This record gives sequence, C-alpha cells and structure tokens, in this order.
Amino acid sequence: MRKSNTFFLVTAIQLAILGLLMAHAAIAVQAPSNGLRQIQSLVKRLELTDLCLFTEARYTRHLSQADLNTPFQDHPLSLEHFPSGSFLAPPAMIEKLNERVD
Amino acid sequence: MIELVNVRKVFNAGRPAEFTALSGVNLSIESNKVTVLIGPSGSGKTTLLSIIGCMSRPTAGRVQLAGREITSLPERFLTDIRRKTFGFIFQQHNLIKGITALENVMLPAYPLGERHVPLKQRAMKLMEDLHLSDKAESKVEWLSGGEAQRVGIVRALINNPSTIIADEPTAHLDTQLSHRFLGIVKRFKEERKTVLITTHDPLVYDDPVIDRIIRLRDGRLEVERR
Amino acid sequence: MREWIEKQKYIIDFTLSSLLRRKAKNIGLLALYTLIVFILASVMFFTHAIKKEASLILDQSPEMIVQKLVAGRQDLVPLRFVETVRGIRGVQAVRGRLWGYYFDPRFGANYTLLVPPPTAQTGAAGNGSRRVMVEGEPDRNAEGSAGPLFDLGADEIGVGSVVIGSGVARVREAGTGELMLFRAYDGEILPFRIKKILPSSSQLVSSDLILIDEADFKRLFGIADGLVTDLAVTVRNPTELSTIASKITRRLPDARPIIRDEILRTYDSIFNWRGGMMIVILSSAVLAFVIFAWDKASGLSAGERREIGILKAIGWESSDIILMKFWDGAVVSLTAFLSGVILAYGHVFFTDSVVFEPALKGWSTLYPRFKLIPFVSAEQVTTLFFLTVVPYSVATIVPAWRAATIDPDSAMRYTGE
Repeated sequence: MRKSNTFFLVTAIQLAILGLLMAHAAIAVQAPSNGLRQIQSLVKRLELTDLCLFTEARYTRHLSQADLNTPFQDHPLSLEHFPSGSFLAPPAMIEKLNERVD
Repeated sequence: MIELVNVRKVFNAGRPAEFTALSGVNLSIESNKVTVLIGPSGSGKTTLLSIIGCMSRPTAGRVQLAGREITSLPERFLTDIRRKTFGFIFQQHNLIKGITALENVMLPAYPLGERHVPLKQRAMKLMEDLHLSDKAESKVEWLSGGEAQRVGIVRALINNPSTIIADEPTAHLDTQLSHRFLGIVKRFKEERKTVLITTHDPLVYDDPVIDRIIRLRDGRLEVERR
Repeated sequence: MREWIEKQKYIIDFTLSSLLRRKAKNIGLLALYTLIVFILASVMFFTHAIKKEASLILDQSPEMIVQKLVAGRQDLVPLRFVETVRGIRGVQAVRGRLWGYYFDPRFGANYTLLVPPPTAQTGAAGNGSRRVMVEGEPDRNAEGSAGPLFDLGADEIGVGSVVIGSGVARVREAGTGELMLFRAYDGEILPFRIKKILPSSSQLVSSDLILIDEADFKRLFGIADGLVTDLAVTVRNPTELSTIASKITRRLPDARPIIRDEILRTYDSIFNWRGGMMIVILSSAVLAFVIFAWDKASGLSAGERREIGILKAIGWESSDIILMKFWDGAVVSLTAFLSGVILAYGHVFFTDSVVFEPALKGWSTLYPRFKLIPFVSAEQVTTLFFLTVVPYSVATIVPAWRAATIDPDSAMRYTGE
C-alpha cells in the first residue's frame, strides 16, 4: 500500500477510536447508572459539604469548612499534610492493608 | 532553440570575494541537437548550464527559450518551465538516499499532482528501457555507480522534457559505462530531444553523436570548432 | 482538486519515506511525543472530570453553613445563633448540624461522625414511624438501576447503632451486625452495632462517614444539649445569599458564614492546583522534549539542506518544500496527538489513572475508590491539539522557510567544478 494511504488509514482509525471514546463519554455522562444522582441525593440528604478525598487530617477532610489558619494550627514546624499527601507514597502498612481487603 | 544574449554572472557581487563566472556570453543552442560544453575547471560551464536550465538567473543579459524571454519571470513560472522543459542529469547523480530508486525517479513529478497509477507505470516503463526494472524497489545506496546514474537519467526523463542537461555525466564512470551513456544520448537524439552536456572527457566530445562543441575559458566563449 | 489531493499524497509519501530512513530516531521521537501528550491529556481529563463531578455533587450541599469562631478556631454553636439567624429576613430555615471527627489509633484512620438530619416527614408522620430515605429522582428509580442509596427503617439509625461508609468497613474489615468500639470523651468504651454499610458507589462522599444517633453523638463527645457543630441555612432567594451572609456577620460578629459558591470554588482551586502541580513536576520532562523536538525539527542538517537543493533542482518549488516540511511536522504530531489522547482517555476513565493516582488524588487510610465520570469536551481536546500539534508543526516549518529559498543550482554547485 502507498505510504500516504497507510497514514490516512491509521489516522482514520485513530479518529474513529477517538469518536467512539467521545460517544462513550457522552453516554456515560447521561447514564443513570453512573451513580452521580445517588451521590447527589446522599449529599442533599446528609447535608454534606465536602468530598471524601483527603481524610488524613481534620483540616483536609472538610476543606471548605476548615478554619482560615488551619495549615499552621498544630505546630509552627509541623509539616503540612496537604501537599505531602500528593508527593509521598502511602506507608507500606496501609498499602498492604488496603490490598488485602480490596 | 535557446538563446543567450550578453549573459553575465557575478557571484558575491560587491563583496571582496566577488567573482565573475561568465562575462558577455552570446550563444544559441539549436533544438534536437547534441551540444557539448567543454573547458577547464572554473571556466563557467556549470554556471552556464544552470542559467540555461532556469536554475539561476544571470546578473545581466537575457535568456530566451523558444523565443520567450524567461530571465525576468517570477520563481513559480521559472520552476514550471524548468520542470516541463528540462531534465537534469548530475555529476554526483544527486539521488535522495534512503528511499527506493522508483521513488527517486518519480520525485520530479510529485508537485504536479498527476494520478498515481499512470505515473508509476510510466516510471516503470522508463526504468525498463534502461534495464533497471529489477532495481526499482532497491534503496539507491545499494546501487552501483552505473545503475545510480541510469536512475538519475530516468529521473530526468520522468516529466518528458524536451531538453536534457547533463553535467559531467561520465566523471564517475568507467569506459564501458561511458559508452553506454553515449548510447543513451544517441537514443535521445533519435527521440528528437535537445541534449546539452558539459564534460572534460575526450571520450564524450570525440563521439560522433556530438553535433557541436562549445569551448569556454574564464567565463568567455572560445572560437567554435566543428 | 484531484490534482491538489494527489500532490498532498505524493508529498506525504515522500515525507514518510524520509521519516522512515531514520527509523529508530523518529519512532523514539514519536513515542516520546505520545508520552508527553498522554501525560498532559491525562492531567487535563482527570482535573476537568473531577472538577465537574465535584461541582455537580457539591451543588447539592447546603446553601450556607454558619460556623462560630472562638480565637480563630471553629467552636460549637449555641442555640441562640439559630434564633438570631432565623430572624434575618430572607432566611427560610435554619438547622443545627452535629458532626465531628474520631481518630481510630488502631487503624490510623480518621472517621467523620455525622448525625443525619431528620427527614421532612418525620414530624408529620402520625404513626410514629420515622423513615430516613435517600433516593434518586423518582423517574430514575423506574429504570431499576438507581434504587435508594440507603433506606433506614423506623427510628432512623437508633441508639446504639451506626451506619458506616464503605471505606470504614474496608479498613476495619467490618460487616453488618458487628460491633464497633468507640472511646468516649471520658474514657468509657461504647459499643455500637453496625446496622448498615453505605454503598460503595457513594464512596466519593461517604467513604469515611459514620452515621450515628444524636444522643450517642452527644454522649461520645460530651456535647451539652443546646450546642451544635454548625448551622445549615436555607434561604428563600439564592441570589440574596451574600447579602444574608453579611447580615449574619453584622449581627453575630463571631460567626463565619460559608456559602455554597465558596465550597465549589475551594474544590475548583484544589484540582487546578493539583493538576498544575503535576504539570510542574512533569515540566522538566516536557522541557527536555521541547528541546529535543526543537533540535530535531528546526535544525536542518547539511544533509537535509542538500536534499532540499536536489528537490529544487529537479523541479520542486519553494512552496512544495514548505508543504513537505509541514507534513513532516503534521504526520508526527498528529499521530502522537491522537495516540496520546486515546491512551489518556483509557488511562483516566478505564484504569482510574493508575499511573499518577497518588499525586493527583492524594492518599490516606480511608481513601475512596471511585470511577470518574468521563466529562470530556471537544473544547479540551481542541486546547490540547493547539498546545501540542501546532507548536511542533510551526517549529518544523519555520526553519524550512529559509532553506526552501536555496537556489536550485546549489545541487550542481555541491559537486564543484
């Protein structure tokens, strides 16, 4: 096959895959099974204010509710948990624990 | 018919390295003839060839192609004339390495946007004429010197030009291959093409196929022989 | 038109042939380029999707939360606050929320204890049956996939029982019916029976939750009656939120109102920051690639110059040379862009961002496991396209511009006379 045709074919296949993925995205966003509405209703029902993403400290669990000066409230020299959580890997113990139960 | 009127070519004009390659060349080259340009190194042969072949413009003077003044044409038109009128055969073959012989042959036709199948057929036909069909898919660096030159010749012919320009075509060929080249030139002449060759090689300019010899020295024409 | 297409195809043929000449180098470049696009696209998809999801979820949170600050710290809110806030014109309802944290030293986990608010029909129900229902929109229920998230029977949770989030259940390996021991403020050990585990599909908001009865909550933390953690305020007209917030601070100078927009903004900035941080970490890699690509794309070697000379000698125009260089850049960058985006989509939405999950999501003992909803817009893909394909193509074409004007006779000059 001519090289240019190969290129067009590859590009067309890639575009088709991309199109399928976009369709997948559109369907998944609309799908009732994605649990979004359930989460929304739970949030409304329990009057929750934050995502449960960073549970390591009280000022990271409810970020929007934290005191204005929270990062330094424990001790002036204490390391802030918030960025550290992004850079450090979890302790091996925790990883193992989660692996076992997951 | 190609006519040069008072053509002058100066390189690096106005700088210390200024160099006059051609001065006051008046020349007319007849169609359907084989013309040879001879002269020592630095005599301006290649410069003259590139001006005739619309590759570069003269510093002064005029070039007329079939009665049409071409010196003042913009680049686009010049290129268009060049690729339709002239086929070039270079001393170093000037093939593009890493791609196949066939692709090299077809390269000059690419910008014309011709359909692929007829172009490929024509290229194969021309390669067959010069016994290159089994080398079509070979990369050019695998070819022997003679094969590479024949690929260069086929490339010059792909757009079916009326004039073939060859710069020192036999410089890297042995006697046998040089004779073969002259055989090809003979065929060009039979096909009523105009051929213009620069050479140092007595084998070429003494060959009976040559119609006319033009001698150059220090950028000027010498008295013609034959 | 046909000629034009054929011409492009011929030039692509030639471009691909030339690219394939330095196979290892160009495939390496393509792989590296794909990797960069993959990383950028992953960060972009992830941050956009989680921001969108966070904003949709938190859009359901209370319109306004009122805290009381003492010496710069959050303190329990006395009931007089409720009366004062209720007295402000435009306030529809005020309700005290009770919630707090409990640190479990055995598992190193921090739980969020929450007293669920009573349902609206609690007071109205004549027969005394109190049902806590959380459900999706009724029409969605009909489809069967979205049943009530949790449905508590009479007496809500009930004294002595808890409902736990699935993250808590996972960490403690606890199941329904088992006992959980809590150490109260005075040292007494209080047992609670696990009544129910919240479905793991709601982990994103409920992983560490422990729902508990009001009396138990107060017993556990020794909170006196008449005190709540904070107030959830509903207003009649949401556009008046900020006016009402400023009225609250005027009447209660030690109060700190937090309106829903601020919550949403907080999460927006967090994920912008995290996404930005990822990019900062990766920027050295990106820069290394930029230097490599720049060198590759913009530096025309003597060999390439000679080739351009040959092409011009055999009848290519300057514009043909530029077109060839354009395709040179476009072929590489388009292929890398499409592969990178496709891989990133799979990575973020099918494998849950395995590669940089820790950096983007964070981690902790009670980490929620969730699948992101693929909120991807054409706009994102377009932005990515302009960030990756265009600079590379430009870097390829610009230097060719000069080279394209090489005199065609340079091919003859090269041989010398």
